[in-house]
Amino acid sequence: MADLPPDADSPGGTRDIGTAAGDRRPGTPRWVKVFGIIALAAVVLVVILLLAGGNHGPSRHSSSGDGAAQTPPSSVSRSEDAGHKPPAVGHQT
Amino acid sequence: MTRRPRLRKFVLTAHVVSSVGWLGAVAVFLALAVAGLTSQDAQVVRAVYLAMESTGWFVLVPLSLASLVTGLLQSLGTKWGLFRHYWVVVKLIINVVATIVLLLYMQTLSHLAGVASDTTLSSSDPSELRSPSPALHAGVALLLLLVAAVLSVYKPSGMTRYGWRKQQEQRVAAQD
Repeated sequence: MADLPPDADSPGGTRDIGTAAGDRRPGTPRWVKVFGIIALAAVVLVVILLLAGGNHGPSRHSSSGDGAAQTPPSSVSRSEDAGHKPPAVGHQT
Repeated sequence: MTRRPRLRKFVLTAHVVSSVGWLGAVAVFLALAVAGLTSQDAQVVRAVYLAMESTGWFVLVPLSLASLVTGLLQSLGTKWGLFRHYWVVVKLIINVVATIVLLLYMQTLSHLAGVASDTTLSSSDPSELRSPSPALHAGVALLLLLVAAVLSVYKPSGMTRYGWRKQQEQRVAAQD
């Protein structure tokens, strides 16, 4: 940050001198490797759960399997009708 | 690409507010999800799922998008860059993944809220509405956002290959 003093909170500050100085590129820090391993394990876990669990998404919560009927905020449709009105369109984002 | 201090501080403030606000909103969402999972009162369970949907659309989604946009502006507008430091890259990945999962999960939340508002549902039996899914998603989101907050404060050292190359280029340019 050019507009910040060169302290530990700015790139090129005291913290980066030890790792980035010199002509050789420093290796990947250990914390990044740990994060990478955890992230990889999490992704594998999610994939396994998705494959093992089968259906994932709104329809899994519906016994009749009509999860395709996605709604905009239900407060919108509820304000139109005291009951519940099946949505005609998808989400309003 | 650097910005004037006043604009930089404004974007930084917006990023901190939106990110911390997102974290707090997720914590509240988790509390609601647990209440929906554990309450024996059918009306409470219904109300919780309706509240979670509104919280999702009107608080979580706007804050997540604001956090992402201000984070991009903040990194690109300063010498930190977007791909120069590992902690920035990890935060970016966390932010993008959490936002995408949130947007996708809003479909499920809308569905659950629709079921909760179903007047034909047996009002005395909330079991058909109960789902551990919101609590699970909120718990993981809370963990990820906490990690992002810690990275922002500690800024652990480590330059990416790209960042190191850029630094070398700047060093050579400065010597010429």
